[in-house]
Amino acid sequence: MRALLACVLGALLAAPLAAQRTAREIVDHVDRMLRGSSSRGEITMEVVTAHWQRSMDLAIWSLGTEYALIRITAPSKDAGTATLKAGTEIWNYLPRVDRVIKLPSSLMGQAWMGSHFTNDDLVKESRIIEDYDIAIGYEGARDGVAVWEFVLTPKPDAAVIWGRIEEQVRREDMMPTWAKYYDERGELSRTITFSEFRRLGGRLVPAVMTVVPTDKPDERTVIRYRNLEFDIKLTPSFFSLRQLRSGAE
Amino acid sequence: MPASPWWRIGWRNLGRNSRRTVLTATGLAVGYWSVVVITGMADGLVADMVRTATGILSGQVQAHAPEYLPDRTLYETIGGAEGTDVPALLHAVEAEPGVLGAAPRVYAGGLVSSGATTVGVLLLGVDPAREDSVSRLAAALVEGRLPTPGARELLIGRELARQLDVAPGGELVVVAPAADGSLGNDLFRVSGLYATGIAELDAGTAVGPLAAIQELLALAPGRVHEIAIRIGDPWAAPGMADSLTRRLSAAGAGPIAVRPWTTFRPELVDYANLSSGSMWIVVLIVFAMAVFGVANTLLMTTFERRREFALLLALGATPGGIVRAVLAEAVALGVISILLGVAITVPVLVWWHHDPIDLSRLFGDFTMAGALVRPVLRTDYPLSMCFYAAGALLLTALLAALYPAYRATRVPPADTLAGR
Repeated sequence: MRALLACVLGALLAAPLAAQRTAREIVDHVDRMLRGSSSRGEITMEVVTAHWQRSMDLAIWSLGTEYALIRITAPSKDAGTATLKAGTEIWNYLPRVDRVIKLPSSLMGQAWMGSHFTNDDLVKESRIIEDYDIAIGYEGARDGVAVWEFVLTPKPDAAVIWGRIEEQVRREDMMPTWAKYYDERGELSRTITFSEFRRLGGRLVPAVMTVVPTDKPDERTVIRYRNLEFDIKLTPSFFSLRQLRSGAE
Repeated sequence: MPASPWWRIGWRNLGRNSRRTVLTATGLAVGYWSVVVITGMADGLVADMVRTATGILSGQVQAHAPEYLPDRTLYETIGGAEGTDVPALLHAVEAEPGVLGAAPRVYAGGLVSSGATTVGVLLLGVDPAREDSVSRLAAALVEGRLPTPGARELLIGRELARQLDVAPGGELVVVAPAADGSLGNDLFRVSGLYATGIAELDAGTAVGPLAAIQELLALAPGRVHEIAIRIGDPWAAPGMADSLTRRLSAAGAGPIAVRPWTTFRPELVDYANLSSGSMWIVVLIVFAMAVFGVANTLLMTTFERRREFALLLALGATPGGIVRAVLAEAVALGVISILLGVAITVPVLVWWHHDPIDLSRLFGDFTMAGALVRPVLRTDYPLSMCFYAAGALLLTALLAALYPAYRATRVPPADTLAGR
């Protein structure tokens, strides 16, 4: 017992010094895991709220952190609705009125398509390690599984909406299991749970992400990757307003 | 009346030097006049501000689903998800005596975009025909026209139009999360622009016909968030809210919360209280000044009559009687002053109520507590202040008489009568 305690204490004390670099690398790895240098994927997004429940199929393309394009492919009522991120600009295409509108940066924190994700989540501005200082909050076994728990604190000048993020990553395969997002007052705002770890596009990834807002525990958004390809041939010219409007690839 | 000799002596003494009595009474009457008229003006200004602040959009009374405020969730419509019979509800509201108009509304957060510029706004769906009986949005129209009922048209603030760079006739994309979870989006045409002078309205609100906004939000025609109600006297709003609550629950409208402006605009109540509180300072100053004037007069009259008092004392009058005579004189003076004061106050109140002093040529319009105020000093009838000021005047006269009365009892009879 005494030996175990010493071991845990030792790990706690040593970890911040020895693991700083590794912590950054692990968090960065998890951050980039679902993105690659470029990617193309098909997603089913299921949203459950107190008032309605709906499911949408999405097609998504990304290139680095600069470019992303998301298009709704089903249901037919919303099919063709698309969001384009190019640099710091976000554009939406609305097929019903056949118009493209530019979103101001003040709306980045708004819900995307009625889900519990924000515009910011889907088209992340930058890599997590650029905006956050990373520390190891816990290292050891949780329910018999060896994990790290990281605490991400925004850098003083980072333009981020969260006050703190906690993330748990499994040691054996570097898979994230959950992430908790705290607002600026330090209160838990939402929890993302990762599950169904599978090989997609040649990588082991969590195929299902579930977001639960803390103030509405009965609501959730579930994202399920149906297929995913990485490092495909995409150029910045693909992420154009013309492409945003066109229904086809 | 056993005390009558002292009263009669007091009353007659006023007539001894009628010019001085008239001058003193006039001084007190002018004090009364100024207190009452200033209070009337302040009340008028406050009532005007309340009317303006609540009249521009909110109305003086509002009815919602009980859970609608403070979150203003899209789903909390009157009557729940099934909605309600809106025409019947409006009919029931308008049957209440004192209600001048009622208008249904829906609210939602949304985006309006001209393409390159997108702004987050409050979308407001109104019945254009009914809105005119509740709010002054139509009066704030500066360009174009009101939206046509049922058409996909928007009335937007002039500042919002400047940000979006659109003019009447221009096209806007409107996007809002709808009640069924879909992303409501449609093209609307700008029918007109308004300018209220209130920043949130002019830069952050877009007004469309009820049916078009309901369709955008996937709300059935029976689903509205608010019934806005206009009444004549803003101070009657709390009582009106209570009786409307009773009437609507009796009419079977289901759970409904009716609130007066004093609840949803508490800052206006604070301002009204501050204003009436400060009136008491005016009362204090005016009558404190009067006390010394009246005391001086009474001191002189008692000094002039010291031989009289000496004689009365020598004939066996008690000091209490002397005091009563002087106080009776003061009360009589006070009553005359009140009558004179009322006589000069009432015509001015009536005059300035019906033909208010217009200072807008001097100052222009200005906003106060989020309400556009025209500097027109329409006096209200400050009924309670009329009585309070009369009481204060009487108290002033009595206070002023205390010292002279005391001095009158201290007259040494023998010395005074002997002329020493």
